[in-house]
Amino acid sequence: MIYFDNAATTRPERAALEAANIYLEEQFYNPSALYAEGYNLHRKLEGARRSLVSHIADPDEFGIIITSCGTEADNQAIFCGGRRGNIVTTMGEHAAVYAAAQEAGRRGIEVRFANLNSDGSVDVDHLLSLTDDKTSLVSVMHVNNETGAINDINSISARVKEKNPRTLFHSDGVQAYGKIPFTLGKNIDMYSVSAHKIGGLKGTGALLKRKKLVLQPFIWGGGQEAGLRSGTENVFGINVFAAAADIRYSGGVEGSFDKVRAVQARLWELLDKDLFIRISPECGSPYILTVGAKGVRGETILHMCDDEGLVIGTGSACSSNAAKRYSRVMQACGLRADLLDGVLRLSFNPHNTLQEAEEAAGILNKVVRADSDMMK
Amino acid sequence: MEKVVIVRYAEIHLKGKNRGYFERALAANMEKSLKGIRHEIRRRSGRYLVENFEESAADTIVKRLSKVFGVHSLSVGYKVPSDIDEIYAAAKLVCDDGGTFKVETHRADKKFYLNSPQISAQIGGRLLDGNKSLKVDVHEPDFVINIDVREDGTALIFNKFIKCADGMPVGTAGRGLLLLSGGIDSPVAGHMIAKRGMKIDCLHFHSYPYTNMQARQKVLDLAEILSQYTCGIKVTIISVKHIQEEIHKNCNGAYMVTLLRRFMMRIAERLALSDGDQCIITGESLGQVASQTIEGMTSSNSVVEKLPVLRPLCGFDKNEIIERSRDIGTYDISIRPYEDCCTVFLPDYPIIKPKLADVLAEESKLDVEGLIKEAFASIEVKEF
Repeated sequence: MIYFDNAATTRPERAALEAANIYLEEQFYNPSALYAEGYNLHRKLEGARRSLVSHIADPDEFGIIITSCGTEADNQAIFCGGRRGNIVTTMGEHAAVYAAAQEAGRRGIEVRFANLNSDGSVDVDHLLSLTDDKTSLVSVMHVNNETGAINDINSISARVKEKNPRTLFHSDGVQAYGKIPFTLGKNIDMYSVSAHKIGGLKGTGALLKRKKLVLQPFIWGGGQEAGLRSGTENVFGINVFAAAADIRYSGGVEGSFDKVRAVQARLWELLDKDLFIRISPECGSPYILTVGAKGVRGETILHMCDDEGLVIGTGSACSSNAAKRYSRVMQACGLRADLLDGVLRLSFNPHNTLQEAEEAAGILNKVVRADSDMMK
Repeated sequence: MEKVVIVRYAEIHLKGKNRGYFERALAANMEKSLKGIRHEIRRRSGRYLVENFEESAADTIVKRLSKVFGVHSLSVGYKVPSDIDEIYAAAKLVCDDGGTFKVETHRADKKFYLNSPQISAQIGGRLLDGNKSLKVDVHEPDFVINIDVREDGTALIFNKFIKCADGMPVGTAGRGLLLLSGGIDSPVAGHMIAKRGMKIDCLHFHSYPYTNMQARQKVLDLAEILSQYTCGIKVTIISVKHIQEEIHKNCNGAYMVTLLRRFMMRIAERLALSDGDQCIITGESLGQVASQTIEGMTSSNSVVEKLPVLRPLCGFDKNEIIERSRDIGTYDISIRPYEDCCTVFLPDYPIIKPKLADVLAEESKLDVEGLIKEAFASIEVKEF
C-alpha cells in the first residue's frame, strides 16, 4: 500500500517509540512527585521540552506548553491570547483556529477573517487592513493544510507589529514543524505544533510561547505546564514527540525537504495534465500536493484509489448538502466551481520514494480517466 | 423476598382457540431478547413472571423486554411468601418517598385469612404510620401499591406500570423483506410492520465507490436497533453501482431514480422469494420526494409480479415519521450525513410523473436480466 495522506497523520517513528519505551514500563512515576524518581523524571521532561523548542527557536526565549493535540494548542492561543478588542485571522485556517475564532465571536469578541490568494496563502494587505489599534490577536497559519501554501509568518508578524506593537501574533505550525526549514522570528508570540504529523503519537501537541508573555491558564488544576495547562504530563507521548522531532531535524530538516520535493515534483510531472489542475503553489510546502481532478467527485476517486492500494486525502465529501460538501478553504481560494468536487490532497513524508510517486501517478491517471469517462 | 418482573401482554387477550400459539411465540421472543442474562420465565394466568435473576440485572431486563412486541406493560416488584409482615416489608420497598397513594389487592387465594379490603387497609395503615409524608387518596392517587395474593402461597407486590412496545409477537404474522436505505423512513416502516407480528429481513443497496463505508455502517447500525424489537434480523447488502453506471451511460438522466427503483424492486422480489419472505416493505410516503409520487410508485410497482408491496408510511407526514423514529431510537443514526445511493448520478430535474411507456422505452436500452444477475453476484449477508 502506498500511503499519501501524511498530512492527516503519519506513521510513528519506530526508533522514537523504542527510545521512549522506558517511560511506559520502568519510569512510570508522576513527574510532579517529590521523591527522587519523580523529580528525575521531571528533569528529563524539561530536557525533552527544551529540545522540542530548540529546533526552531532559542529555548531561553521560548517556553513550551504541552497539550493533548494541535487543536488544543490553537484553542489556548485564541481564547487566552485574544481576550479583548478584536481578533484577526484568515479564511484559510484549520478548523481548530477557525471554529475557535467563531466561538470567540459568539462570546463577544469581534472576529475578522482575511481573504486568501488563489493558492491558499493569506492576502497580507487585506490582513493588515483589518488589523487596528484594538486588535489583541492575529493568527495566521504557517503552512496551509489543504494546499501547502507557505505564509511568510516572520515578515507578516513584523508588519503586524509595526501597525500595532501590542497585538499578539500566533501561528498554527502543525504542517510546518519538522518539515519546513525556518526559525521563529522575534515578532511571533505563540506557535502551535502537533506530534503525530512528524512521527510522534496522536494525543500530544504543544504551544510554543514567548517566555515573557503572560497568559491565563486554559485548564485549571494541579499547576503543571507552569500553571497554564494542568493535568499529569503524558510522559511517554512527550518523549516520543521529542525523539521524533530529533529524527526529523537530525542532519538538518533541509535534507528531507529536498527529498520530499523530488517526490512531489516527480508525481506532478507524471500526472496527466488533461485530467488534473494543480492547486498547490509551486513554491509551497513539498509535503502537500493538492490537485483538482476535472469532472469527478473526490470521494469516489479516494475509494477507487483505496481499492488499488493508494491512500489519499480529499477536499470534499459525498453529500448533497452544498454547504457541507465543498471545502471552505477551497471556496475561499476562489477555486472554479467545476473543480470543487474533485479536490484531491496527496501528502508525503520523508520515507516516501520516487518509485511510490511513479506508481501513485499511474493509479491516479487510470482511476480519474475511468471515472471521468463514466461521468461524461 | 425476591425481585421479579411482571410482564403483561397486549392484544393476545383477544385471541381465542389459538391463543396458546401466540403465547408460546411471545415467550420464545422474550427468551431471545434476554439471552446472556440468567433468568426464568413462567406463565401465570394471562401474564408472565420473570424471576430468579440477579437483582442488578433488573434494569437491563426491563429495557430489553420493553422492546419486545406483544408486551403491553411491565412492573418490577417483589415475590414474597403470603404473610402480612412480609407483604408489608415488600410494600415499603416499592413505595414512593412521598405523595398520595392507595393500596389495591387481588386475592386469588381465598384461603388467606384476610380478604382484599382488609389487606389493603392493613398495609396502607402501616405504610402511613411509617412515613409521615404519605397521604391516602383512593380517587386520584399519585401511585398505587398493587398486592396480588396468589394461590401458590406467594404474593406479588409492585408499584409502577412501565409502558412497553405493544403489538403482536414477531413471527406470528409471516415474514417480509424491508428495503432499508439508511434514511429516516425505512426503519420506521419496518418497525410498524414488525409490530403487527411480522418477522423482518432487510435489503440494502449501495454503490461503492460512489458511496462510502460510513453509509454502509449506518445501515448496519439501524438494523441492529431494529433487531432489538424483532429478536434478530438479517441484512442483505447488494451493490447497484454498475446498474447506476449503465443507466447513466445509456438512458435519459432524468429517469435515473425511476429506473433504479424498478431494478431495486426486481432484485427485492427475487431475494424475497428465495429467502421465503412473503412481501416487500418500503418506507415510501406519498409525495415526499420526486420518486414517491403515485406515478413513481406505479412505475416501480409494475415490475413486482408475485408479492404484495406494503407501504405503511404512505399516509404519514414527515414530522409524524420523525417523531416515531425518535421513539424507536433510529433517528440519531438516520441523520448521520452519509448518502445511500450517491448523489453523483442524481439529475437536477428528475421526472416526477413518469409515464410507464416512456419508462419502458428508456429501460429497453439496458440489459436488465444481465445487470440483475451481476448485482446478485455482489451479495453480502449480515445477521444481528
